[in-house]
Amino acid sequence: MLLLDYENVLIRSLLTERFSGAPPASLDQIVSDFDGVTFHLSTPETKTKILISINVKCFRELVQYGAQQVLEREYGPYIVAPEPGYDFSVLIDLENLPDDQTAREDLIMRLALLKRNAMAAPFERAFDEFAQLAEEASRYTSESAPAGVEEGGEVMSIHYREEEAIYIKASHDRVTVIFSTVFREETDRIFGKVFLQEFVDARRRVLTLQNAPQVLFRNDRPLELAGVPGLEDSGDGKISYITFVLFPRHLTPQRRHENISHIQTFRDYFHYHIKASKAYIHTRMRKRTADFLQVLNRARPENEERERKTASGRTFRVQG
Amino acid sequence: MSQSLRPYLQCVRSSLTAALAISNFASQTSERHNVPEIEAASSPELLLNPLTVSRNENEKVLIEPSVNSVRVSIRIKQADEIEHILVHKLTRFLTQRAESFFILRRKPVKGYDISFLITNFHTEAMLKNKLVDFVISFMEDVDKEISEMKLFLNARARFVAESFLTPAISAGTDQILC
Repeated sequence: MLLLDYENVLIRSLLTERFSGAPPASLDQIVSDFDGVTFHLSTPETKTKILISINVKCFRELVQYGAQQVLEREYGPYIVAPEPGYDFSVLIDLENLPDDQTAREDLIMRLALLKRNAMAAPFERAFDEFAQLAEEASRYTSESAPAGVEEGGEVMSIHYREEEAIYIKASHDRVTVIFSTVFREETDRIFGKVFLQEFVDARRRVLTLQNAPQVLFRNDRPLELAGVPGLEDSGDGKISYITFVLFPRHLTPQRRHENISHIQTFRDYFHYHIKASKAYIHTRMRKRTADFLQVLNRARPENEERERKTASGRTFRVQG
Repeated sequence: MSQSLRPYLQCVRSSLTAALAISNFASQTSERHNVPEIEAASSPELLLNPLTVSRNENEKVLIEPSVNSVRVSIRIKQADEIEHILVHKLTRFLTQRAESFFILRRKPVKGYDISFLITNFHTEAMLKNKLVDFVISFMEDVDKEISEMKLFLNARARFVAESFLTPAISAGTDQILC
């Protein structure tokens, strides 16, 4: 498993089990996801009614960028008032499921993608904004375009973790997605740099990746974020900014769903592989240490003569 | 083995073998003590001239002999910050296990990455030439290990980056289709 799944696997398996017609049982489970997102699955009233609630750190920002509309589109009839302590809830009645098997699976998948859908709102908005700006821009030549069209839309920032954020900006010919990420320690920073450099170079090096989004990374604040408040340069290179430039070919309606999901997994994927490399190097060093020890043990002379016995089991003793 | 590595290791080997002419020597300053004189440094007449063997400014070995102990310090090649962090991790890993290594010093001498302290008790319990072999093979393997780890890291990074960006390829083909 190299790439991460977009959905929450635990929610999917829980719901698959419940939807399969197994006898209803009470349920009360808290499920954690990446980026400090928590889900709460419970059966508060009867065993057949499952309440799924999600808590996202930056939900207020997401609502500001149209998360409510996206979630209403995805979960329309299931939405209920949010459970206290959570941001958004849906209620599934097991006695009232779609009859069709594929429709059921589709519902499970949609519910497992709850986090993805909540986070997708700013992306969708940026993609729409891009379409609109592109249309406007096509009416002008590059010289006569009014300032607003050239500059593009506002920067949407989503502070999805304590110190890290995603910034999204739409222009008439691209959508820029910037991740800011913090490395806790020196090793992570250096490993991260190696990985990011490969992300930057992959497009140039491999012919088949020519169509991939352009990736850039830097340790100081990118120009796109010049006017964004609450951003200070740490100066010690702890914060990195990774920019993905999505071109029109990535923004077509057919690709949209897939690309939004994919880019959301970037941070987790990236950090996961840094940790995995560290773990591998650790096991490697463990093995190497064992090898060194073996070489050192060769320096110990073979054990002194052992006690010698005759065939009948008697031993010789030197008389003192 | 590269052209300059062989004479370097050969030189370390002969210098170290010569320096390991050590014998039991009780402390002159405190009665019934027997300490490695190179660490205690209490009487200057018991210390011999330290010797540095350098391959280049980044790779060198410091041999400090004394009457009953020899301290060998190695500076491992670190070409960039990745190698620097890998060397740091590896030496830390080793020094934390210093007990099972007998001759490994818990803390390297300043300016070096890893140090060994060989006393007369070690040379009595173990074969002297094999101890020298260990130091030499350690020097060879450490360089190999560091460069292999670095290669692995780069290969993994490359693979990871390419597979993350690969799903986006179909974006291009879609474009052609419609």
